[in-house]
Amino acid sequence: MITFENFSFRYEERSEFTLKDINLTVRTGELILLTGRSGCGKTTLIRSLNGLIPHFYPGEIKGNISLDGQSLLELKPSDLAGKVGTVFQDPRSQFFMTDTTRELAFGCENMGFSREKTIDRIAKSVTNLKLSDYLNRSIFDLSSGEKQQIAIGSVYTLLPKVYIFDEPSANLDYDATKRLAEIMKCLKQDGYTILVVEHRFYYLRELIDRAFLIQEGRLAQEFTREEFCALPDEARIPYGLRTVWPERDASEYRPKTVVRESGNVLKVEGLSFAYKKEPDILRNISFEAHEGDVIGILGHNGAGKTTLLSIMTGLLKEKSGTICYNGKKLSLRQRRNLSYLVMQDTDYQLFASSVEEELSLGMKEDCTEKVTETLAALELNAYRECHPASLSGGQKQRVTIGAAIVKDSPVIYFDEPTSGLDYDSMVRVSRLIEQLASAGVIIFVVSHDFEFITRTCSEVLQLDGQDSIKNQVLTPEILLSLSKQYFN
Amino acid sequence: MKAGLGKHQSRLTLEDSMEEKIKQLITQKHFKRTAALDPRCKVALLILIGCVSYFLNGEVTSLALVITLTLFTAIGNGAKWAAKMLIFYILVACLNALLRYVSIPVLSVIMSVFGVTILKLIPIAMMGIWTLRTTHMDDLMVSLQRLRLPQSVTIPLVVMFRYIPTLRIEYRMIRNTMDIRGISDTLWKRIIHPVSTIEYILIPLLMRCLKVTDELAASGTTRGLELEEKRYALNNVRFGLPEYIVTISGIAFLAGILFLDYTSIGEIIIWRV
Repeated sequence: MITFENFSFRYEERSEFTLKDINLTVRTGELILLTGRSGCGKTTLIRSLNGLIPHFYPGEIKGNISLDGQSLLELKPSDLAGKVGTVFQDPRSQFFMTDTTRELAFGCENMGFSREKTIDRIAKSVTNLKLSDYLNRSIFDLSSGEKQQIAIGSVYTLLPKVYIFDEPSANLDYDATKRLAEIMKCLKQDGYTILVVEHRFYYLRELIDRAFLIQEGRLAQEFTREEFCALPDEARIPYGLRTVWPERDASEYRPKTVVRESGNVLKVEGLSFAYKKEPDILRNISFEAHEGDVIGILGHNGAGKTTLLSIMTGLLKEKSGTICYNGKKLSLRQRRNLSYLVMQDTDYQLFASSVEEELSLGMKEDCTEKVTETLAALELNAYRECHPASLSGGQKQRVTIGAAIVKDSPVIYFDEPTSGLDYDSMVRVSRLIEQLASAGVIIFVVSHDFEFITRTCSEVLQLDGQDSIKNQVLTPEILLSLSKQYFN
Repeated sequence: MKAGLGKHQSRLTLEDSMEEKIKQLITQKHFKRTAALDPRCKVALLILIGCVSYFLNGEVTSLALVITLTLFTAIGNGAKWAAKMLIFYILVACLNALLRYVSIPVLSVIMSVFGVTILKLIPIAMMGIWTLRTTHMDDLMVSLQRLRLPQSVTIPLVVMFRYIPTLRIEYRMIRNTMDIRGISDTLWKRIIHPVSTIEYILIPLLMRCLKVTDELAASGTTRGLELEEKRYALNNVRFGLPEYIVTISGIAFLAGILFLDYTSIGEIIIWRV
C-alpha cells in the first residue's frame, strides 16, 4: 500500500511548489492511471515514489509518502531498487549495457546477487515475459517496442512490488502497445501494484482500477474505471485529456475537401529501396501529392516509414523509381532543398543560440520580417531571445516547424509529431498542419496516433500492404478497417 | 490418477528443459580465446603497448609489434578486422616513405611528422578498439571493482564506455538534419567554415549528451547502481593462469622488442619505394 499524506514538493531551482498537498492511497494490486496536461506534475509525482526525489532531484518537501508503512523519504533510491521498479519514457536512454542479456542482469548485479541467482532471475523474467527471442542481441538492433520489453524485463528481475511506467507508449506502434498492455495485464494478475503516467491511455481502458486527473500539481479528480471510460467529450476536452475510444472517431470522420486544380504536384513512381545485401524494405511505391494535401504515412515499426522519409528528403538514394516535382525529376540535392523534416526528437534539430537565430539559420538573404511574422504566428514571440534548449518539448517542436516556414519549403515531413503530447498540444499541432496545408504546402505525417490521424490527414499511404502501394483518400471505411487492425 | 500424474510430470520436464535452454542462452559465451581474457589483462596490455609503441623508433620492430598484435587480435573474434588494420598500417608506412621524394619546405616536414604519429597510434588504436569490442560491460565493472577502484571512478568510465557506440548514431542524426536544413552541406563549406560546422555538430550533440546521461543516471539509480555490493558478472571474471601467462609473455615480448630497437636491428630500413 502506498500512501501520500499532504505531500508537497518544490524543486530547488523553482520558486513554486510543483506538487501541492497530495493525499492519495494506492492499495496493493491496483492499477492506477495518472494523467493531466504536460507539466502538471505527473512525472514529479512518480519521481518522488522511486526515490529520485529528493536524492537525485533535490528540493523542499512537506508531508510524507510511505510504502507498506515505511516512509520513503528515509530511504535512498538504491534501497528502493528491489521495491519500486520504474520503466522510463525513452527506451533509448535507459540501457546501461550494450546487449540485452546483460541489461536484464544489470539490476541483479548491482544488488550483489551471486551468478546463479542472477541467472535464475533472468530465466524467470524471460519465461514470464516471453523475452527469449530477444536474448543476446545488441540493444542498437532492437525496435522501440522490443527495447521497451527489455526495459520491463530488467526491472522485473529485481522483483519489485510496485511498477511505475512513465509514458510507456510514447514511442510504440499499435502492435507494441498491445503487447505492453498484455504485459501489464500479466503483472496485474500476479498482484503487483502498477502506476502509469500516460497521455494516450486508450490501451489501458480495460485494466485500470482508478484514474486520477492532476491539474497544476493537485489531484483534481478521481475516477473509477467506469466513470473514466464514460467521460463525455464536453468534460474531457476542458481537462485536456485524450480520448479513451479513438476508434469511435472513425465513424464520425468527414472527408476533407481539398481543392486541387492547380499548384505544385509531387509524384513518386515505382519507388523501391533495400540496404546493401538485404531484402527490399520498400517495394514499388507510387503516390501523387498535391498542394494542400496532408498525407498520413502508416505502418508498423520496421515497415520502412523512416526509410521512406529519408529517401523523400534526399538523405538516402532510392534503388529504383522516380520522384518528380511539377514534372521534373529530382536529384538528391534538389530533394534536400525542397523538403523539410520535423523530427520526433527535436534536440537534434536545434543548432543556434536563440530562437530568432534558429529560424534564420542557413538563410542567405535577409529574412528578419519573415522571422518576426513566423514567431507571431507560432506564439513564440515571448521566447525570441531564449536559448532553444530551455524551451519545453512542444515549444521546441514549434521552433523547428518555424524554421521550415522561414525556409519556405513546399514539402514538409513530420515524423511522429504527437508522441508524448497531451490533448491541447496535439490539437495545436493538428491546427498548425492544417494552416500550413491551406497555405499550399504538401505535408506528410508519419504517425501511430489514430486520434491525430483522423483529425488531420486527408489521405493515407499504408506501408503494411504487399505490393504496388498507393495513396488513398481517407474515408470512414479506411478508418474503420484501420481501427479494427489497431484496436482488436 | 496415475496417467494424470504422468502428464503433470512430463509438463514439468518440458518446463525444465525450456528453462535449461534459456539458461544456456543466458550464459552463452560470445568471445573466445584471447577475446575471453580478463578485462584487467587487456587494459594492462593496452597501457604497456601504448608506452612501448611511443618509444619504438625502428621500422622492423614497429612492424613486428603490429604483426604480433594482428595475430593476437585475430585469434580473438577479429580476424578480418585485424587484417584490414595491418594493410592500413603498411599503406601508411609506404606513403610515408614516398614523402622522401617530395620536398616542399615546411609542408613535407609536417606531413612526415603526421605520418609517423599515425604509425605510432595504429597499434594503440588497434588494441583499444579491440578491447572495446570484446569486453562485456559487466565484466569490465566487476574487474574494475576487484581492482578496488572507487565507484566515483568506475561509473563515469562505464557510462563513457556505453556512450561511445551511441555517439556514432547521434552524429549521423545530426548530420542528416544539417543536410536538410542546408547548413554546411558541401565539403567546400566545411573547409571554409570549419568553426561553425563544429559548432553546429557540437551544440546538439552536447544537448543530447546532457539529456541522455541524466536519464541514464536516473534509470541506473532506480535499479541500484549506487549500491556498493560485491558484483558478480554473468561470466566468471577471474585473473587466472591464462591471464598471468599472457600478461607475462606480453611484458617479455614488449621488453624484448624495446631492447632490439636499440641494437642495430632498429636501424634497418624496410619501407623503401
